Amino acid sequence: MTRTSYLNWGLYVALMAATMLWLGWGKPLNITGMFITAGLAVGSLYALGGIGMVVLFRASGVLNFSSGAAGAAGAMTAWQLAQWGVWPPLTWAACILVALLITLAYGRFVAPLLAWRETAVKAVATLGFALILLGLVAFTWPDDPRAIELPTDSVGLSLLGLRVTGTRVMAFLASVLICLGIYVFLGRTEIGLQMRAVANDRDLSALLGIPIVRVETIAWGIAGLLAGFTGLMFANLIRLEPVVITFMVIPSIAAALSGRLDNLGLVLIGGLSMGVIESMLTLSPMLKGVRPIAPFVIAALVLLYNQRGSRLLFAGRS
Amino acid sequence: MDRSLFHITPSGAAGLIFAALAFAVLPALAGSFWMSVFTSAACFTMAAAGVGFMYARLGMVSLTQVGLMGVGGWVALRLNYLFDLPFEANLVLAALTTMVCGWLLALPALRMRGLYLALVTLMAAGGLEIIFATFQFPNGGAGFWGVKIGSTDPFRGPLLAQTPEAFLRYVIVMTTLGFLFIEAHRRTAPGRAWALIRRSEAAAMAAGVNVTLYKTWAFGIAGLLAGASGALLAASLGLLDDGTFRSSESIMLFALAVVGGARFWLGPVIAAFLYRVLPALLSSWGVNANLAYVIFGVGLLHALITAPNGIAGQIFDATRALSAKIRGPK
Repeated sequence: MTRTSYLNWGLYVALMAATMLWLGWGKPLNITGMFITAGLAVGSLYALGGIGMVVLFRASGVLNFSSGAAGAAGAMTAWQLAQWGVWPPLTWAACILVALLITLAYGRFVAPLLAWRETAVKAVATLGFALILLGLVAFTWPDDPRAIELPTDSVGLSLLGLRVTGTRVMAFLASVLICLGIYVFLGRTEIGLQMRAVANDRDLSALLGIPIVRVETIAWGIAGLLAGFTGLMFANLIRLEPVVITFMVIPSIAAALSGRLDNLGLVLIGGLSMGVIESMLTLSPMLKGVRPIAPFVIAALVLLYNQRGSRLLFAGRS
Repeated sequence: MDRSLFHITPSGAAGLIFAALAFAVLPALAGSFWMSVFTSAACFTMAAAGVGFMYARLGMVSLTQVGLMGVGGWVALRLNYLFDLPFEANLVLAALTTMVCGWLLALPALRMRGLYLALVTLMAAGGLEIIFATFQFPNGGAGFWGVKIGSTDPFRGPLLAQTPEAFLRYVIVMTTLGFLFIEAHRRTAPGRAWALIRRSEAAAMAAGVNVTLYKTWAFGIAGLLAGASGALLAASLGLLDDGTFRSSESIMLFALAVVGGARFWLGPVIAAFLYRVLPALLSSWGVNANLAYVIFGVGLLHALITAPNGIAGQIFDATRALSAKIRGPK
């Protein structure tokens, strides 16, 4: 990493901290703390969604709009199984398994048909898949208030005089640990090395004898596991509604963009800070109404900042 | 003036005949429910033409088109309640304001391509969605946002078209004008510049084409069409709802423009038909509305995998093959 990129990191963190300080200024500490913890939980979900997206995008060049829909399908399955009285841990496993199978099916059978198209078209194709999933899920489970409960909901942790539910802590820890885990996986294992090679140059990697299909399938698998886990957490922490979970991909893309679809650490920091700022905007009487806008504004600013000084020239970046 | 500017191709003739038929037949056939469905489909045809044109001519993916329609609709409603201008003036001002918004959106486009450009426009759509949901659309209230609780003040439609039938005809004429506007650009200097940029930006720059100007121009045209269609939609309904302008709708409209076939005039028509008329048809047949999503999704995947030129491309290929068969071997 170069010195400039350290500077950029520092600048980003300082800006976010300044924004949080400005929003929380003069408010009682326990209220600010409450919004920060709530924001960290939501931000972890954005970050998890973004991490899945970046791992897959780097390995296969596909920006997966269908991860939210796969998570929604998993979460609804888990809810249905719980209604039938299945042992709870099995329902959670089913949620992740369903999302994994759905994502793998697309990655193995549909995505290769589009491998030669431009990235934007590949991304739009996953949207087609997301629509199919959303249609089927919403058809099977018509609109109705539902919820998924986790045993961690009733476990409370006391942090600096604040009571935080176990689920929120779990979401936050999971996002940090998964980010670290994937970083180590990509850096230390052979599959990780192959994945980085494929991300760098697909054709050259194939010539070197790297099993492209296997590497890509593993990437789709990781994306599927993360989609299932994020779907389950989202259903518990925010809302169990197929449309809402499906279009959670849009703020996840914002988190992925803050890491330029490339850097997992930045995705984590970006996602977390988006969640916290979104939540803390509630404290501002003027901006309270538009608070879900935070991820988009932050992502757009990061993108514009990254493009500064560059000119659109030959060969291009896209 | 360039003579080829007014040359009518067979496909163009078919388009004009189609518009004339729609103008003559649709309002006479449809009942009041279908009238509103067709009117909104005609509005979305114009918006889809804008997004399809950017994709087909420049390879730029814009995922903000429906959001920009919302901007056009918002401006038209705001002006309607603020001043006593006729509808046409509101329409033009709304279209021009949205064109300026299109230019603003073009700023990042000058430095980004492909997926990144698409994602920046998606972020803009996400932002607009939340602004619309928070502040709602003006309905005659006081203040800048002009929202009041309860009944909505009347919206002044065009003087020429006071009945729903006449308004549908009005929208069809406007949409046809939108198509002709794009086609006129395609046949003059901007079109040649776009063709060169699409092939290779490097070649275009080397040939002295102002890439920045012409890309911005394309965004402006897409914005203009979105603004006009948003204003027409506002006039047809008299009020607007933020649910119409979600960012997911913008993605959907782009997807359907690809399914329809962005390179042909028929493409946006098919896109708007799928977007507005098909769900209405399905619900009138008693099919669950969620299954429309499944049909869209399957159609989208099928079109992307098997038909890069969309349904319109397949139709035109089929007619060409048919006419070759009728003429017989040479």
